Amino acid sequence: MGNYRIFLFTVPALLVLGTFFLYPIGLSLQLSFTDFTGVGIPEYVGWKNYERIFTRSRYLDALGVTLAFTLVVVTVQTATGLFFAALLHRLPAVRDLCRAALFMPAMMSFVIVGYVWQFIYSPFEGGLNSLLAALGLASWQHSWIGDPDTALFALAFAHIWMFTGYTTAIFLAGYAAIPQEYDEAARLEGTSGWQRFRHIEVPLLAPSFTINIVLSTIGTLKTFELPFIMTRGGPDGATRTLSLHIIDSLFGDYRFGFASALSMVMLILVVVVALVQNRVLRAREERAR
Amino acid sequence: MRSPSTRCIAGTAALALCATTGIARAVTLEVTAWKGNDAEPAALPELIERFEAAHPDIAIDFSYISRTDTDIVLPPRLQAGNAPDVMMTDMPLVKVWGEAGLLAPLETGDWYERLDPAVKQAVTIDDQVHVMPLEIIGMGNFVNMGLLRAAGIDAPPTTIDELKTACTALADNGVKPMIFAGGFSAPLFAIANGLEHDPAAAPALGTEEVAFEDNQAFIDTLALFPQLVEAGCFDPEVQAGVDPWSTGLAEFKAGNFAMMPQGAWNIRDFSSVDGLDFVFAPIPSARDTGVALDLFGVGWSISSQSEHPEAAKAFVDFFTDETHLQALLEAESAYSPFVDGASGMAALAAPYDEARAAGGTILFPFGVLHWPKPLEAEIFDSMTGYLLDLDQDPSEVLSRWDEIVEDQY
Repeated sequence: MGNYRIFLFTVPALLVLGTFFLYPIGLSLQLSFTDFTGVGIPEYVGWKNYERIFTRSRYLDALGVTLAFTLVVVTVQTATGLFFAALLHRLPAVRDLCRAALFMPAMMSFVIVGYVWQFIYSPFEGGLNSLLAALGLASWQHSWIGDPDTALFALAFAHIWMFTGYTTAIFLAGYAAIPQEYDEAARLEGTSGWQRFRHIEVPLLAPSFTINIVLSTIGTLKTFELPFIMTRGGPDGATRTLSLHIIDSLFGDYRFGFASALSMVMLILVVVVALVQNRVLRAREERAR
Repeated sequence: MRSPSTRCIAGTAALALCATTGIARAVTLEVTAWKGNDAEPAALPELIERFEAAHPDIAIDFSYISRTDTDIVLPPRLQAGNAPDVMMTDMPLVKVWGEAGLLAPLETGDWYERLDPAVKQAVTIDDQVHVMPLEIIGMGNFVNMGLLRAAGIDAPPTTIDELKTACTALADNGVKPMIFAGGFSAPLFAIANGLEHDPAAAPALGTEEVAFEDNQAFIDTLALFPQLVEAGCFDPEVQAGVDPWSTGLAEFKAGNFAMMPQGAWNIRDFSSVDGLDFVFAPIPSARDTGVALDLFGVGWSISSQSEHPEAAKAFVDFFTDETHLQALLEAESAYSPFVDGASGMAALAAPYDEARAAGGTILFPFGVLHWPKPLEAEIFDSMTGYLLDLDQDPSEVLSRWDEIVEDQY
């Protein structure tokens, strides 16, 4: 009997989990089978919302855009964060200052960042095109967020600029956990800086990789802010993510039932990707030990 | 004999009772709107003061809630039976909230009879009216007359031929002729010209009865785009990437472009720019006068849960009086929704006024629910896509609109 009492301690956590996580998910699932408009009494419509999602190319295109955006952001942001962390680890005199400077964009509002980058990418005297002209590269001038071939990358760059400091901070915390003796021993063996980075630091940073990749993947899969502010999903759907479809369906179209169905699809996507990533990255951590 | 302190207490109690009775008689009416703040006052603070002076027993508790936040903040309050007494609404909100029984049917009195027939038809759903319209806002072509005159043109273009001539002259003069952003300006042009031939076709197009892809007027309108490009009006690939709500407005204000289809709500902002010599004209079309694309924007609705329906009715009725409404119209650069109503448009909108007077008015189909709201975003997307590849078959572009309409039924 006494053994069961220990489970009583989990009750508060289970209550919070049930009330704030499981209940809303259950409610969304229920709403996804209705035509709820946000007010009034919803009517059951069966699988109609899901049928629409999987038979209309625009939603599958949005899924593709979301995955492509996530792949680019997570890969480049992790690599850039690692680069800056490795650099700052070797420059202790400016480490704190640079870490704060790199982290600053992450503290800014998405709205401000979106508008600033929108003007940087503007085809008319925008900052980037003006810079190219000043460098004698006027032929490279381009409508960066107006061309479907470059719009997603332009948004990804702004997103990476915003969150690289965050990734760098996590990697720097990982560096702090690497015992100094490993580095000293490697130096005595006559290893080069690249060899120490490749064979000692990268394997021992495995937990930081896991945290960075999982967090940025989940955050990026759900992203809608920069596409919403900078392009409204355009040009012609080139930057329309699943989250943006959800927002548009909810507010403006008043299709809460349909938006709930889209949310369920996105939830499944995020959970599957996060589980697979977590398993692969944890296995990598085990191998590094 | 009573002591002085007893008399004092009795007097204080009597005063308190009077005061309480006075407060109990006063009604506090909660009103929400997405106008009335510093950025877009719409004369509401002044009008609320006037209303309170005229109705000393009613106090107004006014809250500004942006249009976007209205979608987020008010539905939970409406569902919970805690809605504001009077709310600013537009037709998409009226449809959703009215169908759910959350808006009180308004008495169709004198003001209803005075409504513009097209607006009257739009606000009457199943013989009930849930919104008292406040204004009609024009959507037309902003024209920088300084740049046009420098190119040898003295009047804003109202026909397609005049538009092409103006574009060529401007381009030859080294001026970028037109902002034609796929996200708003190009759709305005397409809708105005598509419906100009037969404005009465709008309801049928929005309900699957008639397909856009088979509508010759819309096909011909999209076929005009390459001709405009040929005349030098715009670079389609650049315009596909222009944000009509930031970059587009900034470029026109800076005098970098000569024309831009947009809404009259920008007149106030543009007028504050020193040296910007502009007029607000109709959208060029096959019709000599051009098209005045009118948007039925906002109105007042009363919550069906209001505890003060009479006071709410008095507030709504206050705005049906033209002497009060005029202040709002002037602040908004808008037209009255009443047939006998005045205009709040500035003198620089005379070309647009002339098009309206000549019968060149078309009601924006989304403002009166002729077309489903989700179609708006698809039109913006598809126009952008079309600008990126003008070799597309117009019918195929329009079939995307039909797919969205089909999704609604």
